[in-house]
Amino acid sequence: MPTGAHSHIRGLGLDDALEARNVSHGMVGQLEARRAAGVILEMIKEGKIAGRAVLIAGQPGTGKTAIAMGMAQALGTDTPFTSIAGSEIFSLEMSKTEALTQAFRKSIGVRIKEETEIIEGEVVEIQIDRPATGTGAKVGKLTLKTTEMETIYDLGQKMIESLTKEKVQAGDIITIDKATGKITKLGRSFTRARDYDAMGAQTRFVQCPEGELQKRKEVVHTVTLHEIDVINSRTQGFLALFSGDTGEIKGEVREQINSKVAEWREEGKAEIVPGVLFIDEVHMLDIECFSFLNRALETDMAPVLIMATNRGITRIRGTQYKSPHGIPIDLLDRLLIISTSPYQEKEIKQILNIRCEEEDVEMSDDALTVLTRIGVETSLRYAIQLITTANLVCRKRKGTEVDVDDIKRVYSLFLDESRSTQFLKEYQDTFMFNEMGSEPAESAAMETS
Amino acid sequence: MKKHLQDSRLKMVGFDLWPEFVFSLETSRSADHVGNVRMKKESLILHVRKWRKKATIGMKESKWEYEIGEQFAPRNLDAEGLMESTSNPIFARKDTSLAFQWRVRNLPYPIETYDVTLNNDTRQVTVRTTNKKYYKKFDIPDMDRAQLPLEPANLSIAYGNNTLIITYKKPKEILQMEKEIQDEFKKLKASKEGDVDCTPS
Repeated sequence: MPTGAHSHIRGLGLDDALEARNVSHGMVGQLEARRAAGVILEMIKEGKIAGRAVLIAGQPGTGKTAIAMGMAQALGTDTPFTSIAGSEIFSLEMSKTEALTQAFRKSIGVRIKEETEIIEGEVVEIQIDRPATGTGAKVGKLTLKTTEMETIYDLGQKMIESLTKEKVQAGDIITIDKATGKITKLGRSFTRARDYDAMGAQTRFVQCPEGELQKRKEVVHTVTLHEIDVINSRTQGFLALFSGDTGEIKGEVREQINSKVAEWREEGKAEIVPGVLFIDEVHMLDIECFSFLNRALETDMAPVLIMATNRGITRIRGTQYKSPHGIPIDLLDRLLIISTSPYQEKEIKQILNIRCEEEDVEMSDDALTVLTRIGVETSLRYAIQLITTANLVCRKRKGTEVDVDDIKRVYSLFLDESRSTQFLKEYQDTFMFNEMGSEPAESAAMETS
Repeated sequence: MKKHLQDSRLKMVGFDLWPEFVFSLETSRSADHVGNVRMKKESLILHVRKWRKKATIGMKESKWEYEIGEQFAPRNLDAEGLMESTSNPIFARKDTSLAFQWRVRNLPYPIETYDVTLNNDTRQVTVRTTNKKYYKKFDIPDMDRAQLPLEPANLSIAYGNNTLIITYKKPKEILQMEKEIQDEFKKLKASKEGDVDCTPS
């Protein structure tokens, strides 16, 4: 199972009074920052914050991205959440402002009401036949009924698969969305309440539906402004949505869509859902982008902007001026700033424990203590890296539980940042181009513009 | 229908040899629907009237909804996901010159099984079966458009050849209107103007 660096985050871990629980939803510590994020979340849900911005600032590895991810999880799937890194907007294919505009429009949802046809009924019989030759397409029939009627349906391959996957059987009450083919099990029919066998305690009994099997139902679905843009820009077509290669979109198209959406909004056909745009490593943006952001935040359809940075007072890209977090003062002035602080030893241990669970790694208590120590002395990220590598070493020796020796082994195999620096200091002369050693390393690495 | 002819932009294509008139109705139902109407030249009876929602931003074009006539497009089970089996009753409207008529084919039960009623509040006709095998509610759009009252006495049923036939006699207002339209059509000559969307699906 693939796991991302923040795959264990399930939410912000707050209770109803917005107090942060110490360990919850995969979040550990950072109580103040999480509470602040919770307040902002509440404002987003009430729709009050659209067009405003938040900055999460803190040292590397203190959970800035985790807090943003937690906010995304807590907002639910209906609110668009776009996550980009500051360096992502520099591309040869489109200008910086186009990339930012697209990111903005990806974060604004349009909720559209639409009528679809659904089939709702009790399963009388489901019959799936494999062809006699053993290979080839399966043939299926599904008989559904309401209190008034009964209909036999022929099934396509996909529908057979999803019915099998949902374990649909006679006596189930189901709905099928005709447009998408989505199957929902509503429960068991009351007439089957006496079939005691083969049902769990959580089985829900429902009445057999009445009337016609096919019903019209109003459904609501959310698309982003960017998706509407892409579908309607002539040169692209909707296939561009899948390839992700959308190129630049003309200003006229956007204007047309804005006015169309405004029209729908007045007619009550659509609703605007301001979402969240998260820009990680925001210090990578340059002065042009910042001035664009300033301007974009003032439009009436702006999402909530959340930025994260791990820089202190540093140069604003594209200028000679220094500014806190590398962000111009005029933009900083618009921001609510949340700061994160380094984790305590206890918290590091809990995070490592959660990561072990997330990655399905069994680890002995001693090993975890050692790993925590490593985390405190080097960095949390390095310690998390060691979980995966130590697990591999453990598996190679056919062990079931990662113990101290495995940790020691990977610790000696892989250098952390400070040991690597130390190593370089000692052996710099033997590396190539050491004649340039006097140059300050940071300015060469950072300056790309 | 007359009103519809007047207030919708009627585009007419057809060749003198083609046995039917084909029109697309662009604004008659509501702004976001398009319609398509086919009329037999010989009898001047509508044999197809279908509607579909226009494709809007972010949504696909919907399928044709047949008000009159039925769809003869080939069945593509895998694209559809699931389809009613051909052994089920098939419901279609097929008017005659004097009556609105609906036919439900593939119904093997005797005539006593069926109970067809007209509900004046919902303006819908309901077909019930005593053996709970078939049930259908439908409205009569022509009567709704002309805003005429529904008379239960005008409704009758017949059964034969596995087919249930439901007939609603056209009131004189409708007959009058249709006569006017037919007279118009007799004067019309098919032009060859423009292409019209008349794909079958």
